[in-house]
Amino acid sequence: MKQKILANAEIAAIVLIGFIALITGGWSVLILTVVAGALVGAAAPPNRAGVLRALIVGALTALIIVAVTFLHNAYITQLPKQDAIPVGALQPTTYGLALLLGIVVAVLVAALRAHPNKQRGRTGLLILVLFFAVIFPFFEQSVQLFWANAVIVSMIFTLQALGLNIVAGYAGLLDLGYVAFFAIGGYTIAFLNSPQFNLNVSFWLIIWIAAAAAALFGFILGAPVIPLRGDYLAIVTLGFGEIVPIVFKNLEAVKIHEPVTAIFAALFNKPEWVRCLVGCTEPVNITNGTQGITPIGRPELFGVKFMTGQYIPWYFLILAMLLLSVFFISRLRSSRIGRAWVAMREDELAATSMGVNIVRTKLTAFILGAMFSGFAGAFYGSYVSFISPDAFDFSISVIVLCMVILGGTGSITGVILGGLIIKMSDLLFLDKFQTVLGGVLQATIFQSVKSQAMTNFLESLFNASQYKLLLFGLILVLMMRFRPQGLVPSASEDAIT
Amino acid sequence: MLQVKDVHTYYGNIHALKGISLNVNQGEVVTLIGSNGAGKTTTLRTIQGLLRPRTGSITLNGEELTQVPAHLITTKGLSQSPEGRLIFTRMTVLENLEMGAFARSDKDGIQRDLERVFTTFPRLKERVKQRAGTLSGGEQQMLAMGRALMSNPKVLLLDEPSMGLAPILVEQIFDIIRELNQQGTTILLVEQNAQAALQVAHRAYVLETGKITISGDAKELLEDPRVIEAYLGL
Repeated sequence: MKQKILANAEIAAIVLIGFIALITGGWSVLILTVVAGALVGAAAPPNRAGVLRALIVGALTALIIVAVTFLHNAYITQLPKQDAIPVGALQPTTYGLALLLGIVVAVLVAALRAHPNKQRGRTGLLILVLFFAVIFPFFEQSVQLFWANAVIVSMIFTLQALGLNIVAGYAGLLDLGYVAFFAIGGYTIAFLNSPQFNLNVSFWLIIWIAAAAAALFGFILGAPVIPLRGDYLAIVTLGFGEIVPIVFKNLEAVKIHEPVTAIFAALFNKPEWVRCLVGCTEPVNITNGTQGITPIGRPELFGVKFMTGQYIPWYFLILAMLLLSVFFISRLRSSRIGRAWVAMREDELAATSMGVNIVRTKLTAFILGAMFSGFAGAFYGSYVSFISPDAFDFSISVIVLCMVILGGTGSITGVILGGLIIKMSDLLFLDKFQTVLGGVLQATIFQSVKSQAMTNFLESLFNASQYKLLLFGLILVLMMRFRPQGLVPSASEDAIT
Repeated sequence: MLQVKDVHTYYGNIHALKGISLNVNQGEVVTLIGSNGAGKTTTLRTIQGLLRPRTGSITLNGEELTQVPAHLITTKGLSQSPEGRLIFTRMTVLENLEMGAFARSDKDGIQRDLERVFTTFPRLKERVKQRAGTLSGGEQQMLAMGRALMSNPKVLLLDEPSMGLAPILVEQIFDIIRELNQQGTTILLVEQNAQAALQVAHRAYVLETGKITISGDAKELLEDPRVIEAYLGL
């Protein structure tokens, strides 16, 4: 039998990254080769032969990315309406550095994975990841890549996805209204630190209040529903996810009558009997309706103010929170409750016989998940400094679920990867793709189309960002069909079924 | 020790157990035999609290169990190796055994019971880091029994331990049951393999469509013509 040099999945990944490089171009070549190198290193078998293989495949991949980027820089930028490529990105040294970095990272990752001392290898990998995570924002700022905002928002969403992973991945509960807790967290910070009520509670206190508020609602919602079997939880959470933003939307002119007198007043047709409780002289505006609440307070730490447009402090703050969450969740996973989750997912009957209280175990997961979402919501509110009900529609629940499924249900690494891939492609890649597609269309079809109406129609037809949800739906279907365990399956999911 | 009195269990409207009474004394192996669908597993699940009887009482050393939540039954001193084993396939052998002691907090006692399980089942010790799903059928059965023993039960409930095993392994499993009993474990054994079960047990009950029809000394039942005709197939 003929030995294949590359597995199908590897070819698919290389083609995909090549395509991304073709669309983005410019300075992104450095980031793409590092990411591709890391993936190549991670995919190689953890032994000596694997390192050699990582060297060869890594070099090949880096070469492809560099070549494709060159194509972008040389030809795609010639199309109409394209962003100019900074001069620095066009230098041969940049291409050379990208190539070198790709190979070095691939070999380094493979070598660390093959390290005879597993613990040391893992530490090394962690240091490598942290190194690139730390230098990224400085690189990004110095070459003006304009990725920082997308990366920060992606990290906030990844924080959410990590929380949903507890609910869906560990406890196996389908939560379709996860956005509700995100909204509760966001509005908590909006109420406590904004001109809306003229409150100015410290950010560092609010994030915990937001988490607690979301956890409380998680308990109120979960306690009656989780003991039921079947898909009731999915239905109830779906409803809750719809209700919460609508409630926030409608709490802008609140006037409450005392209900008992209101009933008598209606019965005897004597409107003057009605006692008013809240908002008597003027209806109370709690959430400012669809207008939303802005500006929301920013944190301050050691004299560093977190302002709009200053991405580096925000980046490190959220990176720190992400690392803290990963640490917390992995400890949780190996704790008593973590083992109960695993046992419960495998067999509820057997787990019950061992002494696992199924309802309480599920409820704990549900509440913890809600807590993470509330936490992320507070960060989001503060970061964008603006909260409105529109920011919390159903699509967010779906996107976060997509992140978990794409990455690998129950796998922390997978979920982080899934979160970053989905949100970054949403915020960065689709926009860029739209620009390039627009340029291509301009240069080809549009020249021969005379009617303005036809041009408008074609422009909206080929608007990539409106196919966003279709794309995520497609990802879900394809993953379920070809790789239901996700990109990075959790350790307990692989091998055996 | 374990006393089941006039227990009626229903699946919705289906009357599955029609007044079961049985008792297990300290140090005994008692077997419950019967054909498919007679209600053997239902009986064990009712004792374990996984199903609630509509009427009747289940007591262990005089303590009523029918009101105890299912996940607390194991703390009362009952532990089951369930039908079909239901081991946690994605956990390692050690993690499975640790799950068996989930409800306990006495570290020394857990360690002692772990050693005891490893002496009884040396095969499990060899495979302690292996995923449970990769074990053979016989090893999985041993794991299910070992896991049940990890809660240090007063009465060990075994549901069809011979199911789906090769004859030589069946023999081995029954040897282990005898050995466990000699070490002082009280056992309630549910079996379809009546011959082997009656040979290892002290007393036996025969279950037919939710009722106990015959009961008595296991050796006598081996000779009982009704039992021979219906279950021993001789």
